[in-house]
Formats: sequence, structure tokens, C-alpha cells
Amino acid sequence: MAVFDTPQAAFGALRPVCVQLTRAQTVENVRQLQAHLAGVSGAALQELQEYVLFPLRFALRVPGPKQERLVQSLVQCISSVLAATCVKKQELLQELFSELCTCLAPPPSSVKAAPLSEELKLAVIQALHTLMHSAYGDVILSLYRPSSLPLLGFAVSLLLTLAEQEKAKQIKISALECLQVLVLQCDCQEHRQLDEDEEQQCGDLFASFLPGISITLSRVIAGDIKQGHKPTVSAIRLFYLIVGLVMADKQLARIPKSKEKLPVEHSRISELMIHRGSDWTKSTAEKLSLLLHKVVESSSVHPHWKVRLELVELVHHLLRNCSQSLVDSFSHLLKAVVGLVNDENSEVQSRCNKVLQGIAEQRIVAQNRALADVLSENLHSLATALPRLMNSQDDMGKVSTLSLLLGYLKLLGPKINIVLNSVSHLQRLSKALVQVLELDVTDVKIVEARRSEPPGPLQQGVQKGRCQKKYFRFFTEEKVFQLLQQVCRVLGYYGNLYLLVDHFMGLYSESGLYRKQAAMILNELVMGAAGVGVDFLQEREVPLNVDDLKGSITSILDEYMDQANWYLVTSVDTEESSPEQSEQHLGLAVRAGGASSSILLQSSEPPVTTRTMNSNIWQICIQLEGVGCFAAVLGKEFRLLLLSALYPVLEKAGDRTLLISETALGTLADICEACGYDSVQCLINENSDYLVNSISLNLRQLAYQPRASQVLDTMLRNSDASLLPLIEDVIQDVLSALDQSYNSQASTFLRVLHSVMTALVQWFGMPSAEEHQQRHSDKGQSRARSQGQHKVTMTSQEVEQFFLDYVSQKRIAEGDLPDLEEEEADEIPLAKPEPSSDTEGEAPMPSHAQLARDVMERCIHLLSDGSLRVRLKVLDVLELCVTMLHPHGNHLLPMAHRVWPALVTRLISDDPLAVLRAFKVLCTLAQTCGDFLRQRFSKDVLSKLTSSLLSQAPASARAGPVYSHTLAFKLQLALLQGLGSLCERLDMGESDLNKVADACLIYLSAKQPVKLQEAAQRLCQVDQSLFEKLSVLAPVLL
Amino acid sequence: MHPWNSTVGSASLKLMLKLLARLFQRRILIEDSMKSKVASLLTVLMALPPPDPQFVLRGTSAPVHTLHFSCGGPEPDIPLLFSGSENGFIHVWNLKTHRVDTALDGHGRKSVYCVETMGGKDRLLSQGRDQRICLWDLAEGRTSVTDSVFTEHMGFCRCSLLKVAQGRWLMAMAARSLEEVQILELPSKTSVCTLKPEVGAKLGMPMCLKLWQLSCGSQPVLLAGYEDGSVVLWNVSMGKALSQLSCHQEPVMSLDFDSEKAKGISGSSEKVLSIWCLNEQQNLQVYKTHELVNAGISDITIRPDKKILATAGWDHRIRIFSWKKLKPLAVLDYHTATVHCVSFSDHSSPWDRLLAAGSKDQRISVWSIYAQT
Repeated sequence: MAVFDTPQAAFGALRPVCVQLTRAQTVENVRQLQAHLAGVSGAALQELQEYVLFPLRFALRVPGPKQERLVQSLVQCISSVLAATCVKKQELLQELFSELCTCLAPPPSSVKAAPLSEELKLAVIQALHTLMHSAYGDVILSLYRPSSLPLLGFAVSLLLTLAEQEKAKQIKISALECLQVLVLQCDCQEHRQLDEDEEQQCGDLFASFLPGISITLSRVIAGDIKQGHKPTVSAIRLFYLIVGLVMADKQLARIPKSKEKLPVEHSRISELMIHRGSDWTKSTAEKLSLLLHKVVESSSVHPHWKVRLELVELVHHLLRNCSQSLVDSFSHLLKAVVGLVNDENSEVQSRCNKVLQGIAEQRIVAQNRALADVLSENLHSLATALPRLMNSQDDMGKVSTLSLLLGYLKLLGPKINIVLNSVSHLQRLSKALVQVLELDVTDVKIVEARRSEPPGPLQQGVQKGRCQKKYFRFFTEEKVFQLLQQVCRVLGYYGNLYLLVDHFMGLYSESGLYRKQAAMILNELVMGAAGVGVDFLQEREVPLNVDDLKGSITSILDEYMDQANWYLVTSVDTEESSPEQSEQHLGLAVRAGGASSSILLQSSEPPVTTRTMNSNIWQICIQLEGVGCFAAVLGKEFRLLLLSALYPVLEKAGDRTLLISETALGTLADICEACGYDSVQCLINENSDYLVNSISLNLRQLAYQPRASQVLDTMLRNSDASLLPLIEDVIQDVLSALDQSYNSQASTFLRVLHSVMTALVQWFGMPSAEEHQQRHSDKGQSRARSQGQHKVTMTSQEVEQFFLDYVSQKRIAEGDLPDLEEEEADEIPLAKPEPSSDTEGEAPMPSHAQLARDVMERCIHLLSDGSLRVRLKVLDVLELCVTMLHPHGNHLLPMAHRVWPALVTRLISDDPLAVLRAFKVLCTLAQTCGDFLRQRFSKDVLSKLTSSLLSQAPASARAGPVYSHTLAFKLQLALLQGLGSLCERLDMGESDLNKVADACLIYLSAKQPVKLQEAAQRLCQVDQSLFEKLSVLAPVLL
Repeated sequence: MHPWNSTVGSASLKLMLKLLARLFQRRILIEDSMKSKVASLLTVLMALPPPDPQFVLRGTSAPVHTLHFSCGGPEPDIPLLFSGSENGFIHVWNLKTHRVDTALDGHGRKSVYCVETMGGKDRLLSQGRDQRICLWDLAEGRTSVTDSVFTEHMGFCRCSLLKVAQGRWLMAMAARSLEEVQILELPSKTSVCTLKPEVGAKLGMPMCLKLWQLSCGSQPVLLAGYEDGSVVLWNVSMGKALSQLSCHQEPVMSLDFDSEKAKGISGSSEKVLSIWCLNEQQNLQVYKTHELVNAGISDITIRPDKKILATAGWDHRIRIFSWKKLKPLAVLDYHTATVHCVSFSDHSSPWDRLLAAGSKDQRISVWSIYAQT
């Protein structure tokens, strides 16, 4: 089809069609015109615009009823002309506008006439839409003069009616879009930007329509969901655009006090015009607030995400433009947007976050006191409802409620302090948090789970301290807890730390019910204050003051580690504690400061329920976790606080309750990491002076502080010999304290002594014992020591060696010196150690040996204690002391002399258990003081032992398989196993050996249990080898 | 309103104690209405059993003979405690970490029995059994002896230091010949005078010295305790004994003097503390004596605010008395050997102030006793 580029050519082509149309207004003619139009270029058509439009408009204006199809095609044709051209005349625009509007209006005459067809309506709306877009430059503004207010109003009301009442989705959407264009808020970019004055004018104008538009739109938005999401989305958009325009803070600020007087001829129009004064603004804002509430309510739960997204936009737009005028509505709006942060749709979520971020970044809240008030009011009411909601909602509901709370706090940002400074707000909020965080303390397992004995070395526990999984009364979802954590951290991040810490410390000490929760909150507050793991929208205004933080942490630590809060009853363990346990607790309570320790007194009253203990365990764990947090927050600065904090934590690491000890180990790991220590061992080693200080002070009240010994034990196990100078005086303190109270506290003290001696043996015992052995073997004594039976096979070589030595010695004695030089070279190193061992007695004893001697002295007194358990423990300690004093014979022998009578009593007439241990001690003793013991042993003990073996033999011969689990069996076995090497070491005489051999022979019987047989066999071998040795040596010596 | 105020009325005792500490910390003034409560709290506190030391410093590895605090500096300064021990080391303890910052070795491993600061914590004076008095420069981490005085004195008499002007000190020390006391000016080391008792006085060696002046610029006066148990008041500028009082049968081990009340106290190896006063005619008079349970006092110190005093006993105990009436306030029992010295700290805020005691058991116990007064 030919294109007519020039106006002339186009005119030629269009003229006949136009004339035709003017003559006869038929659909056919219109179609022809339209067909011809398609062939005309835009520029040419622009020239002929009015010419072409004339017949079309003429046809529309013809009075009388018209065919609908004709009108429709006419409108479509106009629309296509307008789409290709632009309207440059104001009159034309106004006329076209009113003509098109008239098409939409129902014919006034026929009230009951059939409604217009949908196609027609759509065509007209589209034509209007096109018209608005084709208006050239300023021409469009002519529509927005006060004088055209009636016309505009007509159009607006028509379109609104369509948008609200039409069934067809397409019409609704088009009407809304058209309206959007009409209020100059089109989405497309073609429009000229209005300047401030023009905007202001439009604002004045549209204010008249605002009630109508907003009410209708809110109805559309809240309308049937079946209408689909698109109309709703458009309606929301239009709603916020128009409200944002009319209620814009910028415009309202410029409104003059009194209404402008319009020229007289417009007096009727001026009645229609609205003056946006403060009264109007206020009343409108009130009405809008109702509408907005309705809008938010319906659309925030709309199933389609685009609607919710549009709602976010609405909040964003209004908050940006009308934060002052619509301040009352913001409680709903913010609630909506904050609530949508956790929308299931990620797009809505991210947009929400961005909007919130934007709000925070632009400090809309920070600069607007009224908004902050609104927020804090929301916060208050939410906090009030929180406990109830937490009780009744399901987990999803809780999540949304809490994210709402979190959102408010985040939005408030630095303004949080306004809320916190109000006593009622703070109380509401804190009570709500405390109630929500209530732990479930019914689980019995927590109380039952005990640490396996013996505790392994600490290094095993060095893993990053994780929080123990807690069980809450009101929720199970982990997400809920995370949100609560965030709430606390945000509070800590923005809030006044002193105020918060003071408040929650108040709650902490107010009632045992709140204590755990308050501690949990305090921990999180501190984390938040340090900015650890806080998810915030805007940086706080004042950077953190480390000294403040340290001050707060110090006071919290003091409170946590106060006796009444740190030493709680966590078990009804009778195994570990002495019978005086309850008494001790009472004593502790009294010490802790009279009247105030009522909590403690209560807890130590006889019926300690599982619940209480569980609760106590949790409290300790939470406090331990707190210590870990504080360390992490302070980093190396925490080293200064180790002075007071390390000891209590270590104490808990040794607790028998599994949960507590695990948590404490975690805390230790946290401390290590924070303070830059490589391992827990390192931590303990480098801070042993602090620990020793605390231990020594606590040992002073050992009766009340049985745990001090645990810490000492832990420390000893994790440290090395360098610790000794530090703890020396502590051990002396223990000893002197023991001297004061042999009767009552012996078992507690013995535990300490046992751990001390174990450590000493570990640090000093081994090398010197070897050295000692070395010396003895030099003297030609038997090398077979504890490993007696293995060395038995070596006996022949040994004898051979002995013989060779003997021969060479003899030769030397005879004056036959073969290699003098070589001999000397050998002798020098040999000679050197001699003097040292000779002068051993005179030289001052090393302090560890001194300690061992002192401890041994106490053991002598305690060996005849009434309680079997104490006696057993004493025997253990005694054995360690003997091992320790091994290299210091000059000191050991007198001590052994003093020990002997008590030890003999244990060996001869005591419980089999004690006999067993005493025999072990005897064996150890025999390693050193051979000669010293020989006489006494054979005189006091040996016959008794052998006779007991003899008397027990028939019993064991008759016994069944269960016998091997009895104490008697164990005693027999130990005697049979030990006697051989004992005799060997003590170099017993022949008659004694005979006794042993006699006793042992019975046990070779096949009727005896196998184990006893084996032991007896070995014993015989030892005996035999002794006999052999004697018989071999005898001729040589002779 | 402070959030704690509302809880005060019903709060239990311990809570209130905490509260008190907080109020002090925050420098919140206690209102008049609360004062009676505070007073009643303090009486309750006093009824409690004597406390444990706040902490114990270990690691001198020798008996401790002298202690001196330096805590008066402004905030960033770390409070320090100097200790002199029998092995000749002066340990500088950091009271924040409770650890030894530096160990000074300047007396040839001979016992150090007197340590004093001169002005700030950067200049230190120490006296040892090597018969030397050393002046130390500790500024900026230096640990050098800048100057020393050879005393030639064989006894245990601690020297006494008095600041007479900015950068000028007078020091009294026992001199070479048995009964004499020599006064030097520091840092110039010029001898001001030598105080010799009259011939035939038979005072014996000086055992302890206290140099003081009534007010800045007035005549410096020396109080000296002698081996025969007498205390002598010397006018330093005239070099003349003003008054003599025999307080004890045994040598005077230690004395301290309160120039405001013109009253002094001395202790010896006996079971008696002797309090004496100085009347307008510059005469020493016995004011009263106080009987002790166990004999032997090795050190006496009046707290700088002149409210209480502490004694270091041979019975391993530290005793606290009110200075006004010498009412026994507390017996601090921690050490396991003779206590050699006691010293009060010079913290600027009273509630930080500490008492330290050094003992033969190689430990230094530090006590917070502010609450007890």
C-alpha cells in the first residue's frame, strides 16, 4: 500500500473518504477512513489532523440515538488519529476530552436503557488514554485549570464508576490506568516534569477528588479476590500516587493560610475548590488513616505476592512524601512493611528490606520525632501483647510477631533510647522478653546426665564453645530463638548499655523466676553492644566506648559469680559429698551474707526438686555461656578479668553434671580463643598465679568450698613443674588447715593431697626413680623390679654377668690391672655421681621432696582413721609419697620407721580392701628400703600373710567361677603376685623364703582357680631363681 | 530517676551493698535520707567475720621486707606496688594484672628493707643490707641506678624521706657510728647535719626514723626510736635533741606520727603499743599504752587520712585499730609467718584504697578495708 508522505498527497487520498463520511455516518465509511489513514505518514497526518477529525466528531455530535457499533468505530478511529498525531490546541483538547467523556456517560434521557457494551467502554477509555498522551507540551495543563474542574470531575467519576462496578477485568485495569494518566502520574517516561507551582496547582485541584478516589479505590482494593491481582495492584498504585500527591508534605508546607480568591466569574467553581489548610489536612489524614488501615489489612494478606509488593511500595512512597501529614497512619503502614520482611516471597522480602534500609538510611525516623513516637507506641502495644501471643500463636505466628518486634526496634535505631528512657516501655518490653524466654525445666535427663569418671584431660574439650541447645516453654522453633536473640542484640547495639544492664540486672536479682532469662538477655545485650552478630539497618550514632563495655561486663561478671548465683544445688549426690553436705550448704549460706541469701537457703532446704536442680543447672550454663560471650567481645582485654573469672569457670569444668562441665569447657575454649592462648593448658599455665590466688583463698574455707580442691586438681593435671613454686605455700596452707581439723574434713583434704602427690610424682617422680634404679643396678643388685616375671628368664645371663664381674673384680684385687687408662676413663663418670649421692643427706631437700615428707607425716596420723574410705585414700597418698621420696633415702627411712606400726596394723587386721592397698604400699616401700624392711617384714608381717594365704587356700579350691570376683580372691592374687618380687627385693633369708614357698605350693594345685595357679607358678619361679642364684653363687664365693 | 532508687527500700542487705558500690562508682551523691541506711549497713558489715585478702601476690621467692604503693597517678597510669625482698630484688607489681612488671636488682642480692618513691613512680629510693641507698630512674621503662649513698650502717634502720621543696628532699638515715643519725639533702647528697646523742645517753642504735614537718616550709623535725626503747625528738636544723621519752623496755621496732594531732605511736618486741603526744613545749609525753595479745610488732602505719592504723605482728597477724581511740577493729589473719611490713595505698579515690602486708612467708597480701572504717 502506497504511503502518502506529503500533506498534499494525503489530502488527496483522504478527502473523498472524509466527504463520504460526512454525508453518511455509517460504520462502513468509518472503516474506509481508517483504512486510508493507515497509509498516511505521521507528519502528513499532523497537518490534516483537524480535517480528518472533523467528520468523526461531527458524526459523534449528531443528535439522536446512535448505533453502538458506529460510536465504537468512531472512537477507535479518533484514537488512531490521535495516536499518530499530537494535539496542539487547547480548545481541541478540551472539546475532544468532553466529547469522549460524553460517549461514556449513559444517555440521560433513557434511564432504563441498556447499558453500554463493554467493547465501547474499552474503546472510549483507550481513546481518552491516547488523548492524554497526545496532548502536546503545556497544552495538557489547560485541562488542569480551576475552570475545567467540572469536566475533570466528570471524567474522574466516570472512570471510577467503571473501575469499581465493571465486571470485565480489562476495563477495570484500563480505567485505573487512564485515571492514573489523568492525575498526571503516568508510569511512562514521555511526560514533561511539572515544576513545583504546577504540581501545587494540580494538588489543589485533585484535592477535590481525593475523597471520591480514595474511597472508591479502597473498595476496589478490598474487593473480591476473584477480580485477580492486576486491578488491585493498579488500584493500590493509583491510591498511593494520588494520596502522595495531594498530601505531600512539601506541598502542604507551602499552602497559604487563607484561600485564594478566584475571579468573580469562577465563583461557582471556587466553591468546588478545596483549600488544603491545616484543618482540612487533619481531617483528611484521619479519614485516610481509616482507609489505609483497610487497605493494609486486606492487601497484606493478599494471596498474590505482587499485591503485597505493591503494598510495600505504597508504604515507601507515602513515607517518603507524607511522613508528616499522614503520621497517624504509619503505625499501620510500618507494621505492614515490617511484617512483610519475612514474606514467603523472596522478592517481597528483599524489597521490604531495601525499603526499611532506605527508611533507616535517610534517617526518616531519626529526624521525625512524631514517627518515633508512633513506632514506640506500636512497640509498647506489641510488647504488651507479646506474652499472650507467644502463648496462643503457633510457631509461624510467633515468628511473624517477633519479626515485627525486631523490625520496630531496627527502624527505631538510635531512637530506641526514647523508648528505653520511658519506665513503662522498658518494663513492658523486658517483662515480655523475660516471659517469652522462659525455659522448660522439666527434663530429668539434664540432672541425671553425669560426667564419666575420671575426667579426661582438658584438651579433649577444646572445641569452640557452642551454645547448649535450650528448650523453651513457649516455643520449639529455632528461628524464634534466633529472632529473640536478634531483638536483644539490636537493643544492646543501639540502647544505652548502662541503663539496659542495670535494668536487667535488677530483674536478675529480683526473682529466681526471671534469673535465667535475664542472664540470657544480658549475654545477648553485651554481644549486641559490641556489634557482634547484629543485623542492623543503620550504624549507631555514637561508637562503642570500650571502657563502658568493660565496666558493664565487670559488673555482670561480679553478679554472675557471686556465691549465691554461682554455687547452686545441682545434684543430690551423696557419693561425692560427705555427709555434712547439707550442713556445708547452710554454712555457705550464712557466710554468703546473712539475711539476703534467702534464695540459697531455700534451695538447700531438704526437698530439692528435680525442677529446681534442672533450673539451677541451666542458670549456671547460661552464666558460663555469658562468660564466653564476654571474652569473645573483649578479646585480649579479657585477660585482665581472668583474675576473677578463670577460677570459677575452671571449677565448673570439673562439675559432675555433664551439661555444666561441657558448657564450662566450651567457655574455656572461648576464653582461649579470645585471649589468644593456644590451648586450655596454655591458658591455665599462664594464669596459674591467678588460679593459685583464688584457690588459696578458697582453701581457707575448704569446708564450704569443696570445689577448690577440684580446681587445684584440674590445674595440677594441666600444668607442669614450673607451677610448684607458686603452689608450694598453698599446699602448706592445706596441710596446716588439715592439722586443725583431722576429724571433720579429712576426706576433703585428702583429695587435695592425692592430686598434689599425683602431680608431683608425674613431674619429679619418674626421672629420679629411674636414676635411682640405675644406681642400684650399679651396685649389682637385681634389675628385676616391678617387671619381675619378665626378667625371670634373664636370670641365667644375669648370673653369667655377675660371674664375669666377679672374676674381673677379683683380678683387680689381685693387682692385675690390664688397661689402666681405659679403666680410668670409665671410672671418672662413675665417680662423679657418687659424691652427690653421698652428700644427699646434708644438701637441702628439693621442695617437692619436702612437700612429700610433710604430706607423708600427715598420712601417718590418718592411717588409723575410723572411716575405711579415708584409710584407703591415705594408703594411696602414702604410696605416692614413698615413690616421691625414693631418691631421698635419708629422709624416707625415718618416715618409713614411723609409718611402719600403722601400716602393719593395716596389713594384719583390717578390711581386705585396706590390706590390698597396704600391700601395694609395702611393695613400693620395699623398692627403696630393702635392708630396713627385711627384719620387720619377716617378724611382723610375713607369717601373717602366708598364714592367711594358707587358710584361704581351701576356700578358693572349693569355689566356683564367681569366686574370681570376690575380694578374697583379689587379695590372694595380689599376695601371690607381689610376694615373689618383694622377697627378692628384700633379699629375704632362707627360712622366710621357705614360708613363702610353702604357702605358694598349695596354689599350684589344679583345684585352684587358674589365675591363682599362674601367679603361684611365677612366684615359684622367682623363688627358684633365688635358690638357684644362691646355689650358683655359693661355690664361687667359697 | 536512677532505676535503682525505687528498689532501695525493700532491697535485702546484699543487694544494698551492691547498690552502694554502684552509687559510689557512678559518683552519685547519697542523699541525707539514705545516710542512716548506709550507716546501718556499715555496722552490719563490721559485724561480719574478717574477710579474706582481696588478693595475694606470690612470686618474690623470698621473705618480703618492705612495701610501697604508687597509685596516685591520673587514670591511664597503672597503679603499682613496690616490694623489697630478702633476696635483694625490688619487684614492681602491676595492681591491674597483679603480676610483676619488672624486678630490679641493685643490692647485690642482699636484703632490701626500704623502698620509697620520690615524687612520681619514676623515681625510686631503695635501701639494702649491702649498706647502700640507691636512687633509681624508672621512667620510660628504664631500670637504672642513677645515684647511690653508702651508709656504712650495719643495722636494719629504715631511712626516712621528707620532701622539702620541689625536687628537694631531706633524708634521715642511721650513720656509721653506732648512735648517730645523719641527715642528707637529696639529690645533691650534701650532709645537712649529724645528730649525736649526748655523751653517756646510752640510747643504742637508732631503730626507726620518722622525718616530718608541721607544714610546708616549717622546721623539719625528726623522731627516732632507739635500741633502748626510747623515742627522741630532734630539731634537724639545730642538730639538737628537743625531747626524749622512754616508751619501751625493748628496742623500738617501728613508729609513726600524726602531725595534725601531734600524736605518735610506737611498737617494739614487747606486748605493748605506746601512744605518745607532743605538747606545745615540744615535749614528748606518754599518752596511753595499749596491751596486745601477742608480743612483737615489726611495723606500724597510720593511714594517710589518719582514721585507722595497721600493725604488722610477729604473730603472723595484721591488726587494724582506730587511730582516735585505738579501738581494735579487725585482725587480719592470713600469713603463716611473721608479717614484716604494712602499707596503705595512695589511691586518689578512697574506695580504691588498699592495705598491703608483706611477710616472711614470701607472700604479699592485699586487703580492701575501706568498708570497715
